Amino acid sequence: MLKRLRKSLIWYAIISPTFILYGLFVAYPTFETFRLSFFQEVATHQQFVGALHYVRLLGNRVFLAALLNTAFLGIIFLLIVIPLSLVMASLLNNLRVWPNFFKAVYFLPQITSTVAVALVFSYVFQPNWGLVNGLLRQLGVEPLPLWLAEPRYVMTGSRAAVTILAVWVALGYYMLIFQAGLQAVPAELYDAAVVDGAGPLQTWWLITLPNLRPTFIFLFITGTIDAMSRFSDLWMLGGPAGTPARSLQTIVLYMYQTAFESNDFNLASASAVILFLIVLLLTLFNFRSFLRREFSSRPGG
Amino acid sequence: MTTSENISTAKPTETKRGLLSSYRNTRRLQQIMILVIMAIGAIAMIAPFAWMLSTSFSRSANVAMPRIPTFWPSDPSIFNYKVAITNLPLLRYYLNSFIVTVSATLGYLFFSSITGYAFAKGQFVGKSVLFIILLTTLMIPFEIRMIPMYQLMRQLHLNDTYWALILPFIAGGFGTFLMRQYISSIPDELIDAARVDGANELTIYARVVLPLCGPPLAALTILSALWRWNDVLWPLLVISDRHLYTITFGLAIAGRSQGIFTGVALATSAIAILPLMVLYLFLQRYIIKGIMMTGLKG
Repeated sequence: MLKRLRKSLIWYAIISPTFILYGLFVAYPTFETFRLSFFQEVATHQQFVGALHYVRLLGNRVFLAALLNTAFLGIIFLLIVIPLSLVMASLLNNLRVWPNFFKAVYFLPQITSTVAVALVFSYVFQPNWGLVNGLLRQLGVEPLPLWLAEPRYVMTGSRAAVTILAVWVALGYYMLIFQAGLQAVPAELYDAAVVDGAGPLQTWWLITLPNLRPTFIFLFITGTIDAMSRFSDLWMLGGPAGTPARSLQTIVLYMYQTAFESNDFNLASASAVILFLIVLLLTLFNFRSFLRREFSSRPGG
Repeated sequence: MTTSENISTAKPTETKRGLLSSYRNTRRLQQIMILVIMAIGAIAMIAPFAWMLSTSFSRSANVAMPRIPTFWPSDPSIFNYKVAITNLPLLRYYLNSFIVTVSATLGYLFFSSITGYAFAKGQFVGKSVLFIILLTTLMIPFEIRMIPMYQLMRQLHLNDTYWALILPFIAGGFGTFLMRQYISSIPDELIDAARVDGANELTIYARVVLPLCGPPLAALTILSALWRWNDVLWPLLVISDRHLYTITFGLAIAGRSQGIFTGVALATSAIAILPLMVLYLFLQRYIIKGIMMTGLKG
């Protein structure tokens, strides 16, 4: 045992810098977020207050609105981007001319920084002369939508504008992942389907979709985490309050505003813990249904 | 979809040759339709950038924008670009971005690969437990730990230094995980042979393992570079000194300030975006391959 430990020493030396940095910037801050959420700064020291901040949050209309808003924006985004990117990826997969050119073009927004894209889109959605309304005016649309100046839940309001923005940014990435999934479907399955006389739609429904299940789950997990932690583009367009009328405020924006504008680190930490629990639950839920389906469909493992 | 259905509804009375050519025609029609749809999407992808570029060359855009969008400025001039580079130390911002991105990425590659090597080929007590600990931390989003991270930076007096933008990101669980998976596939014989020759672990890492790790290192380079270059939330917390703004963060602050002129704002955006786009043109094959390897995006 001692000899094994001594032989281990070199490896410990190799991994220790990573673990020290990890402890400092991942483990400790996570632990500290939980701790802070149960304390309150009184004068110069922190005093234990139990679940006070959680009670405050659950009775806080601004926080609950931000929570709801995050979920709403995330669900609408995923409901649009997943089917759209699947169809586009399927089409691209069947395209024989310039497939790589299109792949590169659709991926372009993804390498551009979110804030640059958001800044450009604040002008694209400008109601009087923006690119979108300019084209709508050409098409004779009256009255022209207000986009980022319209905080209500309407099809052409601020939430719609940022959803269009998010789909525009993410489409190429989702297509790329779907394409990888499509190319992993065994060709024999398609051959068998043709032999059995299945039409293209039947093949798509019975062969392609079920075989894409891992891809769907992967995109749902990463997509929900991204949606729950959405910040940069909305901060750029609406500031920490998610202007107009907090219609663009998400949990992370609320957390940022509470911590760095109201200087209430404890309350902000409690909202961070709630965000963490939601992300954890969503991931576990997605992952569990994924594992269950995977293992039940392959009894042999 | 509709065109491929035509294949099965082709008249059965047709000769074999006719069927084949009608099949070819439907194939061609199908290709054209897909091409049209993809082209419409591609125009939607490029139009905002093209409009940005066109407006950025229009001096009058600062006063009044045309009510009908144009993709060619009526009064082409580089006035907005001159204003943009006099208003903001954009070159300095670029330098900062470069320093931060390169240092953080090199660190990330080093720590990911050497720790990945230890977990793939090393033999030490508690290996699997430590690896599982590392994996669980993958689930903790940055946003959840950012407040204590900010406080820690202040306590360490690292606020408003390059270190604040580099240090927290050089050790990554994902990088270690990816490297470990890849290095595990390197045959043990190669490593044992080097060990027999008297090489120590660090030599084996540098001379045997690293040269074989091109694909995952390339993928991690792309991810880390995109993360660091495009980050805005963390600089927002720890950087207030204008001289340390990265290009992305500098653009964000300039764009958030009220009363900025449209033409100048879009010229600033163009300066921030275009060099990366040119780089992407040359590297897009590798970037897309790297993203597909990890499944993560920038």
